[in-house]
This record gives sequence, structure tokens and C-alpha cells, in this order.
Amino acid sequence: MVDVDALKAEFLDLEFDTRDFILDADKLATVARASGERRPEYLDPKREDFQATPAFLASLAAGRHLPIDFPNLGGIPMDGGKAVTSIGPVRPGIPLTGRTHLHDIYAKSGRSGRMVFVVSRMEIYDPDGVHVATSDSRMVIRERPDP
Amino acid sequence: MTVASVHDVEFGAELPRFHPDTSLANTGAFADAVGWGRGGRFKDHERARKEGLPGALVPGIMAMGFLTSMIHQWSPGARVVHIDTVFRAPLLADEACTIGGVVTDIDEAAGTVQLDLTVKNAAGETRVFGTADVRLPVAPEART
Repeated sequence: MVDVDALKAEFLDLEFDTRDFILDADKLATVARASGERRPEYLDPKREDFQATPAFLASLAAGRHLPIDFPNLGGIPMDGGKAVTSIGPVRPGIPLTGRTHLHDIYAKSGRSGRMVFVVSRMEIYDPDGVHVATSDSRMVIRERPDP
Repeated sequence: MTVASVHDVEFGAELPRFHPDTSLANTGAFADAVGWGRGGRFKDHERARKEGLPGALVPGIMAMGFLTSMIHQWSPGARVVHIDTVFRAPLLADEACTIGGVVTDIDEAAGTVQLDLTVKNAAGETRVFGTADVRLPVAPEART
């Protein structure tokens, strides 16, 4: 059984990935439309206040996003959920930077064994270095039982 | 009924339910736009079944999109400051689902409310749940 406290001590709050993005306005509008959005600032790329929906920002932090030396805990990681904090509008067509660290690691035990939750946090910055959004990805890993 | 300001919000009130488009065409469009459209998981029931899934899925983050849209429909001046969604079980494409929310806290001075959120499938099972912190205009004339 992995020592969660040791994992936290070794991996939490250390930036392990940086990605650059330029968001495509048409894709932002497609995601908003498909989500049933009616507000024009999410649907009309011609507007000055056009911006990304939280769901689109959640997609930026998707996937198995762990430090390269993070130990294999056994089972197949599952997508346990996403969270987005909007600090300011995130616009298309400008360079954005996503910096990722592990924000939390915790375990929950149930009848089927122990599950380890790993929260990977991407902080998104605009070209001026202003923090505009945070996107959390919660990965759930069913721990391999001890032999 | 829509909500114009935080003063119109009642504790425990349910947001008007929303029945989104979960058709394959729509889930596929969403998946393509976020770069997840290459496999059949969100676009093709047969290909999804070959991956061991019960059918093509609604992307989990699309459920977040449905929930945000419901909040915006409920209060056209609202801004979703934080939304957290837990993917409890898959939602199937082409299956009806219901998006719901309930007010769990109100801070009139700050102009903020907290919501509990659910996405239920046609059988009434909760597949996605979560919470949102939402900022609302403090007075109707403050709407932009």
C-alpha cells in the first residue's frame, strides 16, 4: 500500500509541466453551442467579450498528467472529475501558458479496496503573466492490492 | 423564471431543469472541438462497444458545459467563478439526461451563491454531481 503522506511530501506543489496554447475561436464557440450555452459572449467570436467556457478550459488539463517519476500505483487511472476556477476571461488567439503541479493526493477506502485520488492543477496565464484561470483534473486510481 | 440579482435568490430553490442535446452528432462535435474526436468513444456506438464501453459516451467535461449553461439560463447576469464536477459514472450519448441544481448558500452582501449540481440519466441515476460558486449582480441595475 503506497504511503500517501510520502507521495505528498515528494510531489505536491512542484511544477512539472508547462504548455503553451493559442485557443481557436471557432472551437470555443462549438463547445459552447454543443453545451447548450445561450450567452453571446461564449457563442459569438466577433464580440469583444468573447471567451472560453469553463468546460473548454477543463479540456486543457485532461489526460494522464503526472510527473514523469510518479510511481505506478497499479490499476488503470480513471477520470474522477474536473474543476475550473475562472479569475478573468480567457480569450482565443493569444498565447496562453499552462503551468501544472500536483495540488492534492488523498486516499479513500471502500469495500472494493483503496482508491488514490490525485489532483493535477493547471494554472493558466495570459501573455502578460496574469493568472486567468485554474483547471483541476482529478484522477482516481484503484490501488493494486499487496501480494 | 430567470434571476436578475442575488436578492432574487431563495435558499433551497431549484434551478429550472435543462434537458441538453446528447445526440451523437452533438457529442461528436464537442469531442472534435476539444481534440478528443479521433477515436469512436464519443462519436460511434459500435466503436465504443469494441473498446468495452456500453456505448458512445457524453464527454465528462461536456456535463460541466451543460451545468454551466443551466446556470447561465437561470441567471443571465451570473458568472460561474468556480465549478467542480465529480464523474461518478458514464453518461451515454443518445440517452436523455436531466441537468439540475439547487441553491445551498447565499451571501447577499458579496453577491455570491453556492449551488449543488446533478446530471441524471433517463433512469434518474446521478451520473455526475458537483458544486458551483456563482457571482450574481447585487442589484438588477448592476447587470451588464
